[in-house]
Amino acid sequence: MTSLILQTASKLIVPLALLFAAYMTLKGHNAPGGGFIGGLCFAVTLILLRMGVGPEVFNRMVPLHPRVLVFVGLAVAFLTGLVPLLMGYPFLTSYVTDLQLPLGASVHFASALFFDVGVLLVVVGTSVGMILRLSQEVEA
Amino acid sequence: MINHQIILFMAIPLAAGLISVTTAKNLFLSRLIGCVSLGGMVTMGVILLWLSHRDDVIYVSQLGNWQAPFGISIIFDSLSGLLITAASTVALGAYIHSFDMLEPDIERRYYHPLIQLLIFGVNLSFLTGDLFNLFVAFEIMLLASYALLTLGGTRKQLTQAYKYVLLNLLASTIFVMTAGMVYGMFGTLNMADLARIVHEIQADPDRELPTGFTALSITLLLVFGLKGAFFPLWFWLPDTYYTCPISIAGLFGGVLTKVGVYSVARTFPLIFAVGEGSQLIILIIAVASAFTMFLGVLGAVSQHEIRRILSIHVISQIGYMMFGIAIMTGWALAGCVFFMIHNMVVKCALFLCCGAMEKHAGTDDLDRLGGLLKRDVFLAVLFFIAALSLVGLPPLSGFFGKLVIIREGWPYYWGTLSIVGLLTGSLTLLSMLKIWGYGFWNPTPKAHPIRTDAPTVKRNLKAAYTGIVFLVGTALFLGFAAEPVCQVALRAGEQLEDPVPYISAVLRIDPDVLRVSLEAPAAPQVTLSAAAEASP
Repeated sequence: MTSLILQTASKLIVPLALLFAAYMTLKGHNAPGGGFIGGLCFAVTLILLRMGVGPEVFNRMVPLHPRVLVFVGLAVAFLTGLVPLLMGYPFLTSYVTDLQLPLGASVHFASALFFDVGVLLVVVGTSVGMILRLSQEVEA
Repeated sequence: MINHQIILFMAIPLAAGLISVTTAKNLFLSRLIGCVSLGGMVTMGVILLWLSHRDDVIYVSQLGNWQAPFGISIIFDSLSGLLITAASTVALGAYIHSFDMLEPDIERRYYHPLIQLLIFGVNLSFLTGDLFNLFVAFEIMLLASYALLTLGGTRKQLTQAYKYVLLNLLASTIFVMTAGMVYGMFGTLNMADLARIVHEIQADPDRELPTGFTALSITLLLVFGLKGAFFPLWFWLPDTYYTCPISIAGLFGGVLTKVGVYSVARTFPLIFAVGEGSQLIILIIAVASAFTMFLGVLGAVSQHEIRRILSIHVISQIGYMMFGIAIMTGWALAGCVFFMIHNMVVKCALFLCCGAMEKHAGTDDLDRLGGLLKRDVFLAVLFFIAALSLVGLPPLSGFFGKLVIIREGWPYYWGTLSIVGLLTGSLTLLSMLKIWGYGFWNPTPKAHPIRTDAPTVKRNLKAAYTGIVFLVGTALFLGFAAEPVCQVALRAGEQLEDPVPYISAVLRIDPDVLRVSLEAPAAPQVTLSAAAEASP
């Protein structure tokens, strides 16, 4: 069941929502936001996309089963924690630096970002996986 | 520096779990990874215990390098070390045993990652030094246990698991609410920091513990009691453990309830049984322990199926541990710790023996069993050793823990409890003899002849025997080489009785400075920053 209105609207909304998800994830270092919230935004976007274009097109666009994302996300978050341990710091210690960019700009960078990305992937994988499973049962 | 390496107790099972997700279809690889992970943790636990005992240190790692009251601390002292080692040993035994007991199809349904996840949660709850993190650890452990309980998905399992999930959700909700209120009261959830604040207030005659502190303690006791199956809250346990695959029942019976007991042993002497409410709390624990011991064993004697006898027995043994906690002297707590690790190992061994008996007879109903002594002498010997260890016959492992607890309880008004304990011990003997008599000693009942072919069954039980032998061997070691284990357990008891080393290790305050502020009523208040300057 796809509607033309939703399809057209999702073309506009999906890129914006993805941007917002990325913004939320990056902002989360010292402010409300972070991997979990970003992941939820991301998941909602994917679900909206699926409602807009229908399951067949969606499956072609996203060939991965969400379950894989859970695994990859956990692994990424875990490895982020493990690296400082190998360097003699406590587990999950974050490395913080200011990256100098051309034109005098600088970016505050923390290696905890990778952990957040891992969380994001887990959240996307879990929530999209659950919704897919539910909607499969509804559609069948 | 060993300090940061203690996180490996969580990192190893998590890594092993992740890897065995990818190898889920390959049984051999999955099993190998699982055994390496669990075996590695046992080895590491023993080595770290030995090192920490030799150097008399408590290993502390502050996750993410956020210092103590603000970040999450992971603490490896004698109590955590002993319990982690015991839990990993039990898990290894039950895990090897399960290779013969589970259908390959069930094993492929992410059984291996789930076991690792369960151990991850168990280890985290033993190591964490933060009340909220303890809740998280419980949740990880419970999530894995929900899935493990319903492996196979029979109707009976699902019915029981439903109740189990519901009950644990209730307990978790209460736990979070209580943790929130504790935070509201003291502004911290770090156990060492909580202990420091509570003891400081207690030492100062001008200050009082906040109103409702005792109520919070009792609420927490309710939560831990539900997880640990204490007297009025144990109703969920027998049915739940009765339905799931026997190796998993052994693992649960050995490890899960002890996490509840551990939480009481950790938080109550340290924080929640301090102050004017402590008399009431200790009284509640003591009465609950008497009922848990006695009613548990009565339940076990009245049952006629091995699984049910063993499940209800889990409860009865919890009573002894509670008794040790209620006395709250260093020796009694040491006895409690020793009894806990003994009980983990032996209880699981008995469940595993029950699994092998079921393979022979196809049932665990004592009316239909019999003649197993002739069919399988080896199993009979293993069961006999495990059963007598549970009863506590010297020089087997159950003896020492019980001896210390009952002797420690004797001179005080706990005498009544000691008598209940002794009575429970004899009834335990009765219930074990019941299994021994009906299952092994009696001839096979004529009405229900056993149809399986004994040599074939024995051939198919190689892994199961390995698991049982491993655990019974550990139990024998605990009995015959009790001295070193007792030494470590004693140190654990001392650490529980005297909170100063624990607090000073976590908060990095000089122990002498801390002792002054915690014990001398008229001393000026030592703030964290001042103490940090004073410490070298």
